Amino acid sequence: MPSSNPLAPKENALFKRILRCYEQKQYKNGLKFAKQILMNPKYAEHGETLAMKGLTLNCLGRKEEAYEYVRKGLRNDLKSHVCWHVYGLLQRSDKKYDEAIKCYRNALKWEKDNIQILRDLSLLQIQMRDMEGYRETRYQLLMLRPTQRTSWIGYALSYHLLEDYMNALKILETFLDQQPKGNLDYEHSELILYQNMVVQESGDLQKALDHLEKNSDAIVDKLTLKENLGSLNLRLKKFETAAKIYEELIKRNPENTLYYKKLIESKQLTDPEEVVKFYVEYAELFPRAMPPKRLPLNYASGDVFKNLVDKYMRKGLSKGVPPLFVDLRSLYTDKTKVEIIESLMMQYVDALKKCGKYNEGDTANGPKEPASALLWVYYFLAQHYDYLDNTEKALNYIDDAIEHTPTLIELFVTKGRIYKHAGDPQEAYKWLDEAQALDTADRYINSKCAKYMLRANHVKEAEETCAKFTREGVSAMENLNEMQCMWFQTECALAYQRLAKYGEALKKCHEVDRHFSEIIEDQFDFHTYCMRKMTLRSYVGLLRLEDVLRGHPFYFKAARCAIEVYLHLFDAPLKDESAEQELNTENLAPSELKKLRNKQRKARKKAEQESAQAAQAQVKKDQHHKCGRGDVEPDAPQLDELIPDKLARVDDPLEQAIKFLQPLQMLANDRIETHLMAFEVYFRKGKVLLMLQSIKRARKLDLNNSMLHTCIIRFLKFISDNKVEWDPAVDSVLKSELKAHFNNEQDATKLNHQFLETYGDRLESVLEGGKMSYYLDKSSRSRSLDLVLSLDNKYKDVNIKNCNNVLGALRKGDFGDCAKEMEDYVARCNKAFPYCASFQKEKTVENNHIQSENALCSDCQIVNDEQFMPFNNI
Amino acid sequence: MNIRCARPEDLMNMQHCNLLCLPENYQMKYYFYHGLSWPQLSYVAEDEKGNIVGYVLAKMEEDTEEMKHGHITSLAVKRSHRRLGLAQKLMNQASEAMVECFDAKYVSLHVRKSNRAALNLYKNSLKFETVEIEPKYYADGEDAYSM
Repeated sequence: MPSSNPLAPKENALFKRILRCYEQKQYKNGLKFAKQILMNPKYAEHGETLAMKGLTLNCLGRKEEAYEYVRKGLRNDLKSHVCWHVYGLLQRSDKKYDEAIKCYRNALKWEKDNIQILRDLSLLQIQMRDMEGYRETRYQLLMLRPTQRTSWIGYALSYHLLEDYMNALKILETFLDQQPKGNLDYEHSELILYQNMVVQESGDLQKALDHLEKNSDAIVDKLTLKENLGSLNLRLKKFETAAKIYEELIKRNPENTLYYKKLIESKQLTDPEEVVKFYVEYAELFPRAMPPKRLPLNYASGDVFKNLVDKYMRKGLSKGVPPLFVDLRSLYTDKTKVEIIESLMMQYVDALKKCGKYNEGDTANGPKEPASALLWVYYFLAQHYDYLDNTEKALNYIDDAIEHTPTLIELFVTKGRIYKHAGDPQEAYKWLDEAQALDTADRYINSKCAKYMLRANHVKEAEETCAKFTREGVSAMENLNEMQCMWFQTECALAYQRLAKYGEALKKCHEVDRHFSEIIEDQFDFHTYCMRKMTLRSYVGLLRLEDVLRGHPFYFKAARCAIEVYLHLFDAPLKDESAEQELNTENLAPSELKKLRNKQRKARKKAEQESAQAAQAQVKKDQHHKCGRGDVEPDAPQLDELIPDKLARVDDPLEQAIKFLQPLQMLANDRIETHLMAFEVYFRKGKVLLMLQSIKRARKLDLNNSMLHTCIIRFLKFISDNKVEWDPAVDSVLKSELKAHFNNEQDATKLNHQFLETYGDRLESVLEGGKMSYYLDKSSRSRSLDLVLSLDNKYKDVNIKNCNNVLGALRKGDFGDCAKEMEDYVARCNKAFPYCASFQKEKTVENNHIQSENALCSDCQIVNDEQFMPFNNI
Repeated sequence: MNIRCARPEDLMNMQHCNLLCLPENYQMKYYFYHGLSWPQLSYVAEDEKGNIVGYVLAKMEEDTEEMKHGHITSLAVKRSHRRLGLAQKLMNQASEAMVECFDAKYVSLHVRKSNRAALNLYKNSLKFETVEIEPKYYADGEDAYSM
């Protein structure tokens, strides 16, 4: 429909130039032409011109004016599709996608076949995963532009994403039938592979196999072709063909462990001895490949294992392969293998010292091993004993190694790690600092050093260390944030949490959260891009990845920290600063008080001015910055500044916690901690059904979890204390659910007693059970404490982590005032774990406030060093 | 250790590995750009738990006047996993894919003048040749060998 206020030819020409200027990013010129139209009194209120002026202003960063003009334009011409479209684009640039979709729909009301609006709408729909809407829009686009390739692909894709494989395939087939035959380019090849992906997902494996075989000449990506042929043949039990394909794949890339496993499956080898034999054969065929040498160690046992691992280790030690231990570590789940490895290493030490060989019985006249072999044996043994929590021996061997070769960086890193595992983060970081000083050009060592500094709560030093590798001219914190360096930000948050700097901790957690939002935003450009590039398999992979992005362990770690901090802030809100000052003023004379008030007022004013200036400078800097980097959209919205003090003083910490919790409930529901945290939040909110839900979900994962036990006990007590209050409907749900889940025992005291009896040999459980005894009945204090404070061997899990948890509970007052018991307990723990800083009197002072602040799950001291799992749930 | 072609869900972990190991860092979008433009060209090395211990991020230079060729954007192996030959194996797989899928005639890359270990790998193990020195190629002012 034409605008309700059509322009005269001269103005119309100007208007077209505004549009062109907008497309070509000549915003200043665009404004000039808009001015020329609006100068004419006849068109001073011209809706579409006003709207375009607004949109142009938005691109120049003048957002407020932009909204003003666009809205005014729209008001003046409500039936103009241009005005609605422009309003939609403005909202889109502000990431208000739902609003933008509404605008586009309004625009289409007045101009239903406008290609540009339909395209823009389809982008938002797929971004927001409105798949039904996307399909409709793509249908309209196909009807309007049936000759365009993307029209067909987009429409097929919409069905695929709706899991309507039949229709998706029908559209793809129709499209491909129209294509010239004998096409051999990359894009065609990708399209065929995409088509095959859809067939496979439809479940028709035979059809998928036929399709691949028929089209194999048109596929240039031979690796994907073969991988798919292999897996389809295998799934269809065509073992011989599958085996041949996997043999070819191994030839192509003998470092891929999956190919070997699939080949074994194709050869239907199940007996471990056969599997070992298979690998030994392949090790001869591919002498430079790692998997056929390493993988048989997983399957072999007894003497066969001993022979293989002996050969394997000797080779690594002679060559000097530092990751030898890391490589073998996964074998340590098998105790007998650990013993074999240990005894071999002991033999090497003796023999190397005596005669320079790995075995004294080795033929006397052969060449001796290199002198470094002994060093690598020491290095291995240090890591070996560290893994087995034998700090004493680990330190002995690492010192032997350092004495042997005092310049090897890896040794200092290992020494640091031993101290870290032994519970002394300060000493640990000192050794990492030493390592870092030996090679300042290596960022890996630099990063590890910074991480250890953070574990020891030295945030400033860590930042300074990182600054050696960040861009000059910006602060390291800022640069690391810009580069989305999440490991650093999360470790920072945890350090701040331990230091009770809750606002700072939350700031870091929110920064990580924002990275995830940004990465989700990142998809936007790829919706069009991939359709053009035809990389549809990867595109679908991206969409699926983005759907579960916050399932990444990086998010979990940051979210857990944020939730713990918010829970703590709910339990112990920060004191209001002004109220605190109020207390101190009571004793002042009126005149002094007046002076103080004046001073305070001035200080406040100055601070406000400063922060306003800083904010302004920040905006300017950001704009400048963005101009410098061409790839950033000029109209990306400004996010609110994260101010630690504000974050720590929110009115609704539990609601804030829920914001971090919800993605975990969706995407990390296989981790019991998610549901335990959920319980803590809902318990504080008094939401009884949500507490029950959390408990039920946790029970599905691990019935016997000790932390879950405390949730159940508190839940049962909560119910019996508040029974009268709820609605009959809630009451009836509770009754039936309790019966289903705790049929045997719904009495908290009795249930707790049962728990303590069942798990009386686990300190971890006794601690939680003991806490609950005291929680239910204060008179049980000394009995509970006796159990909890015992270090004798009736418990099979007396370790640093659990003893620290006990100490944390004493400090938090989970057993009332325990000052005396604490002193005694610390002394006894010190004897058992002499290296652990939290049990050392002189060090407890510096660790004191740190440890006590760990609210919910006192983060264990022995955190898995080798970071992060990739996605399990994709 | 396992070496395989990178998938979209690896890209975040590659970024993590890059941030740990190298001074040249990129935002996620740049990794997505690689993974979605040339899904065949980037490879990862992972340990038994699935942690990325090394990667190569690669692309095609398509719109140049010169011959079609591949380019190594970034290559890293964690220091804790050195001396296993991972870098070389990653490079070989990526180069092979460049030829097979995109008809690349050669592969180009930049390396810091001071990075002796990397130079040794490229020159001696992988037989790269130095084309020129690009002065002040890196943000900190260091020169690069263009190979």
